Amino acid sequence: MADLQVQQPKSLIRPKSWSAEVEDAYRFQLAGYRDELEYIALTKADVPRWPETGFVKKLQRKKDGYFYYYNRARECSDKDIHKCKIYVY
Amino acid sequence: MALIQRKDSDKEKLACQGFTVKSLLKNAKVLPPPNVGAFSERPSKPTAFRKFYLRGDFPIALEHDTKGNKIAWKVEIEKLDYHHYLPLFFDGLCETEHPFEFFARQGIHDMLEHGGNKILPVIPQLIIPIKNALNTRNPRVICVTLKILQQLVLSADMIGEALVPYYRQILPIFNLFKNFNSNLGDGIDYSQQKRENIGDLINETLEVFERHGGEDAFINIKYMIPTYESCMLN
Repeated sequence: MADLQVQQPKSLIRPKSWSAEVEDAYRFQLAGYRDELEYIALTKADVPRWPETGFVKKLQRKKDGYFYYYNRARECSDKDIHKCKIYVY
Repeated sequence: MALIQRKDSDKEKLACQGFTVKSLLKNAKVLPPPNVGAFSERPSKPTAFRKFYLRGDFPIALEHDTKGNKIAWKVEIEKLDYHHYLPLFFDGLCETEHPFEFFARQGIHDMLEHGGNKILPVIPQLIIPIKNALNTRNPRVICVTLKILQQLVLSADMIGEALVPYYRQILPIFNLFKNFNSNLGDGIDYSQQKRENIGDLINETLEVFERHGGEDAFINIKYMIPTYESCMLN
């Protein structure tokens, strides 16, 4: 039922270079979510962010509810950029 | 003929330790003192971290993905008892085998990054595991421990100051390895690029200690490591 409430994306873009948006997408997709919208819709919780950089701090994994903790600095390395997906609604 | 005779006489000499009665004999050949082994590795005993991990006591799970650089926490770090878990993870610094080494390093990294004010009260319990890790004299273990010490000092306020009374436990190994640089002539030392050069890392760590250790830090470092020069006074 929860899946039905999540807005479905219309298209996706493969990023070519790093940006804060790509970093966010990388972190959400590592935890098994499409993006912030899906995370909020499924967990009904706010996304904790680092005050200094604004990157995602902690996420609950989709498959088993375990927690992933992220660094305050950039984590998405250049070789991972093309694996990220930025969804458009 | 003379040469052969001399060789024969060498064979007849009696090998013995210095400062013994034997060494006073005419045909005594005093042996050099045995190697102390100040720089040789001293493998650690099986750690409590390993025991607890094998028993499944830690609320962590390894993520088998292509990254391999993350652990999943079964419980929120904020809810963990730092007095129990942080010293245990530090105990795992001595480990050199996978997966213990990875879990200990990454577990400490996550707990320090998200610990905030909960780290400071645990400092006294971290000293013995840190000292044990440094005492293994294993270059890999020392490198990891030095990086973690830097992260520890920067992880919250007042930790640098809280470490000053424990310099006597931590710094002797720093003093031993401070000039542990290999002379390669004009060759390339790749450990410098990979940030694995012990001499450089020790200097870096001492500078972090001095910057964040308050006004008594420098004099205490200088007491333990006489060759250290201040990065702030000069």
